[in-house]
Order: sequence, then structure tokens, then C-alpha cells
Amino acid sequence: MNEKTTLPVVNEHGYFEIRLESIGGLGANLCGKMLGELGALLLSLNSLSFSSYGSEKRGSPVKAYIRWCENEKPLRVNSPVTHPHILALFHEGLIGTYPVLDGVSVDTKIILNTPLSPEDAAEKHHITMGELYCLDALAIAMECKSRINMVMLGAIAKASGFISLDDAKQICRDSIGKKYPALIDANLTGVELGYTRLAKAAAERNVEPLPEGGREQFVWGYDNAPIGGVNPRIGSTVSNNLSPSREGYIPLFLPEKCINCGLCDSTCPDMVFQFAPGIYKGKECMVNHGVDYYHCKGCLRCVEVCPTNALVTALEKDYPEKPHFVPNRHLLPDAITYQETGANSWITSDSYLDEKRVNGGVV
Amino acid sequence: MTRDEADHGRRMEKKMEEQKVMYDSGNELAAYAAKQINYHVMGYYPITPSTQIAENLDTMRAEGQHDILLIAAEGEHSAAGICYGASAGGGRVFNATSANGLLYALEQFPVQSGTRMPMVMNIACRTISGPLCIKGDHSDVMYMLNTGWIILFADEPQKVYDFNLLGLKLAEQVRLPVAVAFDGFFTSHQKRKCLVFSDDAVVQRYIGPKLSSDSPATSAFAKECSTGENCFSSVLDLAHPISVGSYMNEPDVINNRYQLHLAMEEARRKLPDLFAEYETLSGRKLSFCDGYQANDAEILLFVLGSSYYTAMEAVDALRREGVKAGVITLYVLRPFPAMELRELCKNAKTILVADRQDSYGAGGGNMTLEIRAALQGQKSGSAAPRILSRVYGLGGMDFFVEDAIALFREGLMETAADFDYYGVTSGTADSGKAQPQYFKPITEEESSKGITTCVFDEAAGKMTVTGGALKDATGMPMRIAPGHGACPGCGIPVNLNLLLKGIEGNVVLLFQTGCGMVVTTGYPKTAFRVPYLHNLFQNGAATLSGVVEVFHQRQKRGEYPEGQITFLMVSGDGGMDIGMGSALGTALRGHRMIIFEYDNGGYMNTGYQLSYSTPMGARSSTSHVGKDQYGKSFFHKDTPELMAATHIPYIATVAESNPSDFIRKAAKAAAYSREFGTAYLKALSACPLNWNDKPDLERSVISAAVDCCYFPLYEIERGITTLTYDPQSKNKKIPVTEWLGMMGRTKHLLKDEYRSVTEEIQAEIDRRFARLCARAEHPLL
Repeated sequence: MNEKTTLPVVNEHGYFEIRLESIGGLGANLCGKMLGELGALLLSLNSLSFSSYGSEKRGSPVKAYIRWCENEKPLRVNSPVTHPHILALFHEGLIGTYPVLDGVSVDTKIILNTPLSPEDAAEKHHITMGELYCLDALAIAMECKSRINMVMLGAIAKASGFISLDDAKQICRDSIGKKYPALIDANLTGVELGYTRLAKAAAERNVEPLPEGGREQFVWGYDNAPIGGVNPRIGSTVSNNLSPSREGYIPLFLPEKCINCGLCDSTCPDMVFQFAPGIYKGKECMVNHGVDYYHCKGCLRCVEVCPTNALVTALEKDYPEKPHFVPNRHLLPDAITYQETGANSWITSDSYLDEKRVNGGVV
Repeated sequence: MTRDEADHGRRMEKKMEEQKVMYDSGNELAAYAAKQINYHVMGYYPITPSTQIAENLDTMRAEGQHDILLIAAEGEHSAAGICYGASAGGGRVFNATSANGLLYALEQFPVQSGTRMPMVMNIACRTISGPLCIKGDHSDVMYMLNTGWIILFADEPQKVYDFNLLGLKLAEQVRLPVAVAFDGFFTSHQKRKCLVFSDDAVVQRYIGPKLSSDSPATSAFAKECSTGENCFSSVLDLAHPISVGSYMNEPDVINNRYQLHLAMEEARRKLPDLFAEYETLSGRKLSFCDGYQANDAEILLFVLGSSYYTAMEAVDALRREGVKAGVITLYVLRPFPAMELRELCKNAKTILVADRQDSYGAGGGNMTLEIRAALQGQKSGSAAPRILSRVYGLGGMDFFVEDAIALFREGLMETAADFDYYGVTSGTADSGKAQPQYFKPITEEESSKGITTCVFDEAAGKMTVTGGALKDATGMPMRIAPGHGACPGCGIPVNLNLLLKGIEGNVVLLFQTGCGMVVTTGYPKTAFRVPYLHNLFQNGAATLSGVVEVFHQRQKRGEYPEGQITFLMVSGDGGMDIGMGSALGTALRGHRMIIFEYDNGGYMNTGYQLSYSTPMGARSSTSHVGKDQYGKSFFHKDTPELMAATHIPYIATVAESNPSDFIRKAAKAAAYSREFGTAYLKALSACPLNWNDKPDLERSVISAAVDCCYFPLYEIERGITTLTYDPQSKNKKIPVTEWLGMMGRTKHLLKDEYRSVTEEIQAEIDRRFARLCARAEHPLL
């Protein structure tokens, strides 16, 4: 254990605060837990960590919080971190959709997982406040067979200026090494590459106020919400855009091969196939008109059951204009504003079980 | 240093036990304390946010760190029963629950206290339903106030540990059960640096042995034991038989209750000594209540739980402004420390009591009411303080330092209302325009496509069903909209869609709590395009039977139009464990409705704890695999057979791997439910997340479950069993290991060391299938 760590900066109540913004499945909870442990057990700090609480379902946005202070000082605040000293964004796609940049000040160190350079990322996402650091955590994780959270852990250590690479690796050994000794080397490499490959923006600091993040415009309250929690807006989940759930793959529809057997419709959990009356081989029948990609989570069940290869797996990036993209055909004509959300999908239980133990569950 | 202090210092030096630093949450520490105590039995039922306590104990058990028998009951009511029985049998007993679990078990708590059986139960406080909320407030624990239990409230993980140790000692000294409550999530899930005794033996020495009159170790003084202070009589004591739980009326009940009252007063007397003793061992000071800057405070805020520390920051901020602010809290709710509280409040001009729950209509939450009552007893001489009440932080709403400051500022206003809510929102004005409908309601005509047709053959006494082709079934409008939050590849919507494709005409749905409900109705959205009702999962079937009967009643009275509705109750995630009684009762009464079970083989909505339908040997978060445990230790539940014993007209198993068969059986079930009585359908439902397999392959996993006869497809129509798919005759039968090997949760069973387990599973599956074949061959069976 280190002698004593001096925190470089603290807020008005005397705390140094970190916020991780992610979507389920990228390991932000575990990363937050490891940072908490690192503070408590290796940095001789008083430490607290927790995650946003919610469903066990994959993919909704996840936040993890870490709060540190001197060891002798009691940790008295247990609410979420609103003004982080370090803000780590595990998933670039959250920016603009969710208010993940809220509370950033000129002193905030922002660590962004992106293939872009810090300059390009700052311009693309209008990050006009704080000190921006970037790294391609996904590529690094794939390169060394580690996970995004380990790479981000290394990056956070580096950006902090007071967490040594040795300590970051030590907490990795302590947390993962005992349970999964086979995975430890790859993960240590992940931490190290995160630490060494983090790129800092050339400009010392951004100082322009940030634009407002995406927020719900309409709010139910005691004056306007139907009593008893009743919900009269039938089928309103249709306004969720679940595209962020996909992990890079889409089912590609090849209508010329389709025999309209309906097997895809029988296996799809997300009601994406738009069958409507039509003509097939000169006969009136239900015909598949296309795929509602707003709601496709990319599970590829349909590809697996299609008997004629009319549905095949494709890389989403190869099809920016998804062919045969047909929104739900029962929607009323009023304009619909889709809200990006959703499951970042299943991940293997070994890693997931770890996550889950940290995150808790529902009901 | 005074002499007393010097003595105290020496004592501390001498007696303080070695401790080690941990970085753990309240739940983890409750489990750790239980492990150190090594209770005999934990009877429990998983419920967020307390579930981790059992999960952590199971993890430690799999690794051989303790010997507590963890019994996953089929509901909290039974869990409390298990605890009661185990304590009556002389054991040390432990439980953990939250919210509606606590309320479901409520009637058992006065039994435990009234018959004077000590035990410890942790309550990770959570909002009670409905609408269903998984997050934290104090609406559950306040139901405990009148149960005769001692209630300790921990405001941080460290105190969860401390109270779990001290609580058991107190429980056994005064022979009352003890609840250790703490904030769900804020305390149950936040990890903190804390101290635990390094050596389990220190804990066991501190609490001491529980002496039971039936134990050989105590038989030498068994005579004194029946009345002895430290010895417990037991229903296992054959030499000194006792009757526990008499039938008792006036004039005796009042005396029994007076004894309970005296025990509570005894607890009040003993607690200061216990606090002092614990401080000697641990160096940590515990107390009935506590104040921060309270002595000279003119304005005092009262909060319970983790908010106490947040409020301290607010006090510091206000003191910098020159406001004489202070904050107080309670650690012991029963016995209520009125005297100590009065001392803390003696200089306050205003006390603002912030309650994390409401006693609706009483003008305050329970803490307001109790503090008001306690300060009524204030000694004369000082002016009575003004007491204001605010309800705050419901449903897990965060409590920031700014909120605490805002509460103080309200309290400083002369004109502040006596009672109000803090933190409510009126909502956006002009809601009608801003919130259009996305769909039109589905008409009966639109959903009557003739995809299936059912005709009852009077002569044969059977329902004939035709249709069900998948290519036609695509024409059925989706009663459930896309955009729900189920995991990619989840089997639940797949099964629901197949089911609903087979049901022509109007439907009304009821879902019990579970994944299917959680992912479809996250407020302010809903996936349902047809009428839908939720109830908690011990009661869905009964609730829908009420809907069914009022439909018929109102039709009969001419208050509701003629016509038919298919009523459909959807259960899963263990709903047929805790809800089995309700389902059986409904089936026995024969209400005209369908009970549909999507069996995903675990309590997936809470993070995959074992259900009775989890395959034997499967890993779950309450059946870990380790050196002392191979996973779930008993066979999967055969729910269709239980339902068959109610002799309802139609029972069938369905699988997505046989989709047309599924649709036809759904049509049959609907026809039977409309005309004859209750129908029951069960689908095996894939859960890629917790089965730990690939979402795109789920249909083949389900197919394998059918082909290995783990999940045979059959129906029982008016008592006659028919195999609707026989893998044997189609030469498709596979060994069960093929299916088990497809899922991460059961893959470990293929190792050589578990061969005896898989052989046992195979034998049981074969036996059950052979019975089924025999029944199918013989109409009388």
C-alpha cells in the first residue's frame, strides 16, 4: 500500500470524483468497482463506489461513480457524481443522445473511447470544455484479447496523473487474477496499452460552455400523469430506437430469395419483419416487405432459421443505407421521434456474472 | 486525561480485537457477518436489493467458507416459515428481504416475536409496490414497527456489519427477533472501506454459543435449562417436550403481549451495555441515536439512513453562513429511544423531520409521528419546538447536499407548511397535444384472421384444430409492440408472439412480475396494444380470475357488450414457484382463462437466482459451482403434472422449435378457456444472457431440450394424454448431455467429475418420459 496519496484537486466538500458513462456490457461497473478498491486498498484513500442501479437487462445506459477523499476524512456524500474531475466515456454513441457530458468543467479530464484523434473527436462531438484524452479502447481490447473496461482503467490511471501503472495493474491482478487466472495476462496488457496509448488533445484546455445534452422534452408529473400509474399510450415502446443494441452485425434481407414462409417472423423477438398482404408467385398471400431496423437488436436468430438464405449476416458498417428498411407498418402517420436506447446485448456469462454481482438486480 | 478515560484507554488496548480492512457493500458485509457467525439455517427468497446477501453466502458456501444451510423457499412467506421452524428447533437463523417480500411474509413476524424466537433478518429497504419500483425508500421497513421485532437501522455498510453481530447477541439475550434495516442500494450496494474482525472465532466468542435444552452439551444442566437465562427450549427436545404456539384468548393474550413489551424494555436497558462492550472489541461507538452539531442547533433536520451523512455536509455549509443548523438520526427504531432523542433536541426551535415514506393521511411519515409523540414528553421548562414534516426521496430518488440545504431553508421559513412533499414535479402543461398515440387499438375484426379454427367434436369429446401455418400467421397483428427492452435473442417475446398468433379475437392480458413485465412496461412507455394488467407474482392467476368473473357478471347484468374475450395470464421467472398456490386455486375453481408460463429456468429478472425449474446441476447466482457444490442440487419442477392434478380441461407444453404446433395448441387453449374452463400452457423459454449461450442459436437449444426429452411436447386434453412429438419414434432422441453442453450454465456438468450427476439427470428424465409414454398409451392413466 502506498504511503499516502495527495489528491491533486477536490470539490467544495473535499472530494475527488470520477464518473464512468457506458452502456451495459462494456464493463463499466467492474471498472468502477476496481477503481474504488484501488483507492481504498492501494492509494490509502477513503473510497466509495457504486453504479447506477437498474434492470439486469443489457444495454440501457450505465453509470458508475467513484468518490475519493483523504483517508482520515469521512465520506459523507452518497449521491451520484454530478461534477466529475474525471469523466470516462466508454461508448462514443452516448454523446448527443444522453446528457453524458453534464457537469463538465474546465478542469474535467474527459477520456473518450473513440478511433478519432482528440482534435477530431472534440470537433465532432463539440467537446468545448475540459481536458480531452482519446484512445481506441475497442481496437486495443481486440488486439490484446482484453476488454474495454481494462483498457479504460489504464487510460483513467494515466489521465489522473496520480495513479501509477503499477497500481492499476495490481488492482487488475487482485480483482481478476484470483478468479480468472487464465485471463490475467491479456487483461494486464489491456491496462498497460490503455495507459500508454492514451492521446491528449494538443490544446491545453477547452473553455467554451458545452451545448445542452439530449433530454426528455415532455415530463409526466402529478398534474398531468394519469392517476394510479395507468399508461394510456398503447405500444409506446415503438418510439425506442434499439439500434445501439447491435454489435456490428445486421440481418441483410434478400427479397429475391424469400419464399415468405414466416419462419423469420416466428423467431424474431423484436417484431421487425413487415409482412403485409401482397402477391407471391402469382398468389395473394402475406409477403415480407422488409425489416424494421429501428427495433432490430441484431440477435441474428432470423439468419439462423431462414431456409433459403434470404436473410444473411452482414456488417452494419458496410450498409449505411440499409436496404429494405421498412418502419413498422402499423404506425399512425404522426411523426415519431425515436429515442435511442437499448440493450448492448448479451456477453459471455463469465464476464457478465462479475458485472452482475456488482450491479445488483431487479425485482 | 481523567482517570476514567485512562482506564478506558487501557481497556481498549487490552481488549480490542484484530480487524482487517475490506472494501465491501452493506449486502456483502451482512453476508460476511453471517458467515462469521455460521448460522445453522438461512431461509430466504430472492428479492432486490437484498438478494446479494444470499448470493454472497452461496458463493462462500461453494468455496467451503461456512456451513450455513441456505434454503431458497418458494416465496418469502415460506422463507419466514423455514426461519421460524429452524429457530423453534434450537437453531441460529438468518434471513434477508425487501419491499413486497417483507410484506408477503408480514403475518409471520408477530408469530416469531410472540412466541419469542430470536433470529436476525436483514431488510435492504425498498419501495413497496405498486406501481412496481425496485429502488429504495423506507416504505417497507415501517410496516415492521408493530411486529414486536427489535429494529436496528444502519446508515452505512460498516454499521450493517456491526448491527448484524450485536443484533444477534441482543436477540438471544432478550429472546426477540431483530431486524437490521438499511437503505436499499445506497447502503446495500455502495462499496465502502470498512473493518471486520480478522478471526471468525472472535465473532463466535463474542456472541457465545446458543445453548439448547436438547443439546448433549447442555443436558447436564437440562433441568435448569427449561427456565435458565441462556438456554433455549426446543421442539426437538424429546426429554423435555414443550408445546409451542398455544391457542390463547383472553385473559392470557394480554399477558403474553405484556411479556413482549417487557422484553422490549429489557432490550432498551441492555443496549447501552452491549454498545459499550462492542466498542471495547471494535473501537467503534454505537448508540441509540446520533446528532451532528445538534447541541446548540436551532434548526434540526431529522433523517434516517444514508441521508444522515449527506445532511452533515449541508450542516457544515449552513454553519459557514452562520445558521445554527444540526442533523439527527436514529439507529434503533424499536425500542424507540424517546429519552435519548429528547436530549438531542433540547435546544432546537424547529425540527424538520424528513421521512422517506408517508403514512398517508397522518400528516407525516412514521418518523414524524413518532418524533412528535416523543417530544410531547419533553420536560417542561423549554418551549416545545415547532415540528415540520417533509416526505422526500421516494422510489430511490437521490438525495444531494443541495436537497438537504433546501430542506433546512424550508425549515427556516416562518411560513413553512407543517407537512408537504419535497421533490415532486407537476409535469409539462398541455399533455394531450404533446403525447400522440402511435397506434390505433386493434379491433376484433383485425385480429380474427382465421389463422386457426377450433371446432369441438362432441362425439369424440375433443377440440379439433386446423390451420396454424407460419406463412399465414404473419398476418396476425402484433398485440405487443416492438421497442421493448428484452435482451437480444430473448425467448420471451418469441413465445408471446407465437402464443398470440394462435389466439383469434379480443384478448386481455395479465402479466405477473418478471422479465416479460419489466421489459415491456418501463414507465412512461408500454409495449402493449391491448388491455394489460400487472400484479405481483404470487397473485397473477387469482387477479385475472377476478377480471374474468367481473366480465361475466357485468355481461350478465347488461353493463358490458355481448361477445368474447380470451383472458391470458403470463407467468415466468419463477412465477410458478411463488405463484403456484394462486395458479392451483384458480385452476381448481376453473375460471375461463389461460395460464401461460414462459419457463426460462431461473429468476432472470433479478439476476438469475435458481428457481425450482432450473435444471439440476445448473449454475446460478444462488447455486454456484465450487469445490463443495456442483450447482443446483435438486431436479426441475414438473409444473404441467402439478396442473394436471387439478383436472382442468386442457394442458399442453409448447416450444418455439415446433412453431406451428405451438400456434395450434395456443388456439386450442383459447377455445377451451372460452368455453370450458382453465387452460395451462408451458413454453421453455431461452435466456441467452443467463443460459450463457448464443442468441442466434436459441431455437436449436430449445429443439435439443425437446429432443432429449427434458422438455417433452404433449397435451392433456380432458384427461387424455397425447404425445404431440415423439423424438424416439422419429429417431431424434439425444442424450441430455448434448443439451446441457450447449449452455454455459450447465457445460461444467460434462466434466468427468460430474458424471454421476448427469447420469442421475438422464435417469430422471427417462423415468418421467416413460411415465408420459405409458399415459399416452393408456386413456385411463
